[in-house]
Amino acid sequence: MLVDWLPQGLKDALGPDIVFWLGYFTNGKHLGWYASVQYTLEAMVLGAAVALVLGLVAAAIRNSGPLPLRWLAAGYINVVRGVPDVLFFLFFPIAFEQGLEWILSTQVCTPATLALNTGQWPPCDAANISFTKDQYLILAGVSLGIVYGAFVANVIAGALRAVPAGQLEAARAYGMSRMQVLVRIHIRQMWVYALPGLSNVWMSIIKATSLLSLLQIMDFVTWAQRLGASNFSKAAGLVHDDWRWRYYLVLLIFYIVVTYISEKVFNVLGARVKRGMALAEQNLT
Amino acid sequence: MNKLVLVAAAFAALTFGAQAAAVKIGTEGAYPPYNFVDDNGKVGGYDIEVGNEICKRAQLECTWVVNEWDTIIPNLLAGNYDGIMADMSITDERKQTINFTDPYFPPDPSTYVSLATKKVDYTALKGLKIGAQTATIQSSYLAANLKADNTILTYDTQDQELADLNAGNIDLVFLDGSVVNEVVSGSSGKLKADGPGILIGDGVGVGMRKGDTDLTAKFNAALASMKADGTLDALIAKDFPDEKGGPFYKK
Amino acid sequence: MNPLAPLFHDIEVMAWPAVINVYFAAAAIPIGFVFAIAFALGKNSSNLLINRLSRGYIYFFRGSPFFIQLFAFYSLVLAFNISTWKPLGLDWFVLHPLFLGPAILGLNTTAYTAEIFYGALLTVPKGEIEAARAYGMTRRQRFWSVTWPHLIRLAWPAYTNEVVFLFQATALVYFTLPVVGDQRDLMNTAEVLFQKDYNVFLHFGVAALYFLVISLAIFYLFSLIYKRLMRHMPQAATMKFNLRRVFG
Repeated sequence: MLVDWLPQGLKDALGPDIVFWLGYFTNGKHLGWYASVQYTLEAMVLGAAVALVLGLVAAAIRNSGPLPLRWLAAGYINVVRGVPDVLFFLFFPIAFEQGLEWILSTQVCTPATLALNTGQWPPCDAANISFTKDQYLILAGVSLGIVYGAFVANVIAGALRAVPAGQLEAARAYGMSRMQVLVRIHIRQMWVYALPGLSNVWMSIIKATSLLSLLQIMDFVTWAQRLGASNFSKAAGLVHDDWRWRYYLVLLIFYIVVTYISEKVFNVLGARVKRGMALAEQNLT
Repeated sequence: MNKLVLVAAAFAALTFGAQAAAVKIGTEGAYPPYNFVDDNGKVGGYDIEVGNEICKRAQLECTWVVNEWDTIIPNLLAGNYDGIMADMSITDERKQTINFTDPYFPPDPSTYVSLATKKVDYTALKGLKIGAQTATIQSSYLAANLKADNTILTYDTQDQELADLNAGNIDLVFLDGSVVNEVVSGSSGKLKADGPGILIGDGVGVGMRKGDTDLTAKFNAALASMKADGTLDALIAKDFPDEKGGPFYKK
Repeated sequence: MNPLAPLFHDIEVMAWPAVINVYFAAAAIPIGFVFAIAFALGKNSSNLLINRLSRGYIYFFRGSPFFIQLFAFYSLVLAFNISTWKPLGLDWFVLHPLFLGPAILGLNTTAYTAEIFYGALLTVPKGEIEAARAYGMTRRQRFWSVTWPHLIRLAWPAYTNEVVFLFQATALVYFTLPVVGDQRDLMNTAEVLFQKDYNVFLHFGVAALYFLVISLAIFYLFSLIYKRLMRHMPQAATMKFNLRRVFG
């Protein structure tokens, strides 16, 4: 496709082979592959945002909240850390959809429609929910966030403990209420201790987005698999052998590049957060 | 007078609705020549061509949804699309959860593909590595009949098993006969298929949810008209040039 | 016990697949452990080539997803089937998931463990090493008598985490490698059962239960080893496996 826009002189200069490969790597299927990077990036960012929020809430509750909520937070953290993220990604969207459909069925199902669908799901046809691709992507991002929220909670709990007690006592001595101490001093001062752990969790989230393909989202990985797959049918496109490892190598390099960029960003963030803090130098980068 | 206007409006709304009825059809997109995603990123193949023709005749607006094979039925039941056209064979086990329309491909015995240099005694298959795709009639057949004496490997997609076959990791691949013909002719002599044909399943139909009797009837009507006027036979001849024995439907 | 019968049936059906997951982890742990020491020392080495190679290896395997590594190495190994494995008569072995799974897991865990060991290596008290040199110990003696005991005790809690992650990563193996015969693991079995009746809570729930229980067992086992490792230290620094740590 791109090749059509090249002037003929340039095409002659490059030679038929290069022009062919240029054309191949910019055909519709490859362009779809490059475009699907956006789904990976969207899921990464959404997952990180949800993880951060959930982690903050769970960490705050776990140390100082009413007892049943504390058990809930502790249970959430430990169960999610004991179960592979793959299992959760496969489980959560389906379970969420079924849960919504069940709630909907209590509202819209009449006994007549219920009788039609006995033994099957959904309980009646009116209670059937179907997600668009974008909604499904959001659901995948939320699953990512729920899983890694448990890790963030642990990191933040550790960071909250690392804030020197003297600072909190001084704040109380100044007459701040518990909530004010928490928000103005405790959480603000915690970030420098949390940043190394949070950067680790971000790296894990980056790598977890490779599992999006298991959630039926035509993401970066799915397209690469379909492009690399050996093809025998001329109607289906270029006839070629198994090219998969080459495409997978590109995927690996993509993820390493994203990791590298993230590292640099976190270094900058770390330097900024450490401004004006009197800290011992070791083990904080 | 007002009542008349209301009735007319309702009638108009109904007919408008009927003409613009949107139907989504799910397909695998990785099973040439039945369905694939071509180099322009568009779905194509026999399933898609038959599906588009059915929708034209039934006056439905069809869009295609690509979905991996192993979750294609759960997503139909969840309502992500309204029909499955992915070379899905009609079997009793599948009929427990979904309905099928009439078949849109003639009975298609499954057979074995192997490397052209491999000698296989098909009367006594022993000690061989045989591959099939998960959750297909072929993998069920292999598990039921050949598991005792051979190693059965199951793969997620058709291209993975063919890649393993070409790389010499497995000895045989068990596939639909119509696909085997095209695979062998597209392999430029590297592969051969000289095994027996084993008829499994009751033909290939469009998978539908059990409650969707209306849609199933519309599809059946469109299929019947395509069979009667030779359109289906023309599509078979176009997409399966190595399929012998046609025309199948036009009398 | 009618309503619980499907639950017990699932637990029974998934027992053998759970063993397969444990096998993958157990086979990859020794590989990872041994090679990680080499790569950690390599990353700390003053030889520029070894240093760069070790850092590169660790960066590559930590920076890319394990899921993709499985796909990539399977198709890479497959590409060499006709040229290399078949002539050597090794193809039935090299391409089998029971070998390839732990092999790729081993490659992956080596990198993560090496990073943990490297971090611990940096914090070994330099004074003790200098004293050992002053005593005239050879490099080998220095490593095994001084560096190694410190390293393993410092690294053990983080290493325990890594082993638990390794075990959870075994869930991905059969998403990428072909299933041979009936050798299915927990995730694969859960999917097969799910295809039959679309009951996501039961099948994935039981699989999650197995993963949770085995993860806790691994954690408990490794905390026992930690207790033994630290038995001579003045402050009984345990990894405190007790209910309070687990349940908050």
